Amino acid sequence: MADTAEEIKIESSEEDLQRLEKALNFSNTMKTFNLNKNNLKVKTQNLLSYSTAGGSFTVNQSLISFMNFVVSSGKTEISLLDKNDIPIHIDDTEKFLDEVSSLYFEVVNDYYNEYQKLRSSRKIEKVLEI
Amino acid sequence: MSKGIVIFAQNNEYINYAEQACACAGYARKNLSLFDEICLITNTETLEPDETLINEYFDRVIVSDSFQPDNVRLFKDTSDKLTYAPFKNMGRSDVYELSPYDETLVIDADYFIMNNVLDQVWDSDNDVMINCKYRDVSGRHKENIEYIDNFSIPMYWATVVYFKKSDFAENLFTLVSHIKYNYKYYYYLYNCSGNLFRNDFAFSMALHILNGSVAFDVPSLPIEYLNNSFDLDDIYRVNSHNDIIMYCADAERVTNHLLSRFTNMDIHIMNKKAIGRFVDDFLSNGEKV
Repeated sequence: MADTAEEIKIESSEEDLQRLEKALNFSNTMKTFNLNKNNLKVKTQNLLSYSTAGGSFTVNQSLISFMNFVVSSGKTEISLLDKNDIPIHIDDTEKFLDEVSSLYFEVVNDYYNEYQKLRSSRKIEKVLEI
Repeated sequence: MSKGIVIFAQNNEYINYAEQACACAGYARKNLSLFDEICLITNTETLEPDETLINEYFDRVIVSDSFQPDNVRLFKDTSDKLTYAPFKNMGRSDVYELSPYDETLVIDADYFIMNNVLDQVWDSDNDVMINCKYRDVSGRHKENIEYIDNFSIPMYWATVVYFKKSDFAENLFTLVSHIKYNYKYYYYLYNCSGNLFRNDFAFSMALHILNGSVAFDVPSLPIEYLNNSFDLDDIYRVNSHNDIIMYCADAERVTNHLLSRFTNMDIHIMNKKAIGRFVDDFLSNGEKV
């Protein structure tokens, strides 16, 4: 009984060591992956800003949907709350919608490409081009 | 309406702020385009040894030799190099008087502009814009908002401040100046942590007072977050005018570092020694006058 237990212990410790090493290496990769992913997210949030007529707007799906509704309703000018809750007069809603949509597609598409690049490689030095 | 970017630099025996300010101006000029001038506010002692370099990166230099009381702080260069040195940061409240522009964007000499989002500040309806929300590039500070103390008011980061010549801005800077000269009183009133005079604290208190000493919102800059790299981080490589790779101190063990690449996003690099080590790369990637 004692022999078997010792045998199992020796066998599992070698295996465990290898598995642990693999897991820890993967954990390091994941840490770097998560850090870079978070930084990409923050970059995207900072880039999704559009300023006009003295106001600044956070560009997101809600703003685009709302503006789409405004344009579809035939309103050519409106007052809109900006990111600081200041009312801003938009005198060409179609142009505004066009510009915020373009910005959104461009920035999120860049985010997508960079994210794909990040997740497709386990070698961080390859992703960062070191 | 004239539009200018203003950077402060006053050397101490530990850090050459003049060359960092030049690097910072080079990045601002390369990535922003809707301003008229970039201006350095400095003292004679800082200007003289680096005047040629300064003239290459700045459209205008304003010399202000106002008295700077002792304000000693701990400078960290990652976790293993710590140095105490004078921190000459008390001129910031004078910027309202000193700035020759109708609209001014004040940036710290360690703030590197790497995209054009801050071009959106010009012609804003707001008299003052300053950020409360920040992100730590290493992910060590998880909260988006820092407080002067756990039981005090939110902290606004004076790292990047926009203002236009207006009553609100004038009153704000008057209050910042008043707080600076009576710091001990306000330090206890607002239950500050640490002994150092910080512009971030002075601006936060002044904004609080100016808004009637109640909960308040101050318009934030077009950027959602101030992207802070704290002084435990280091620079790995400067690739270009919008591409830097950083060693970010691991949240669990700060002596370990993780690599992260920053492209097309502004970054506030608080490890001044690290900037000094890479200053030639920063200068060569920036744009001169």
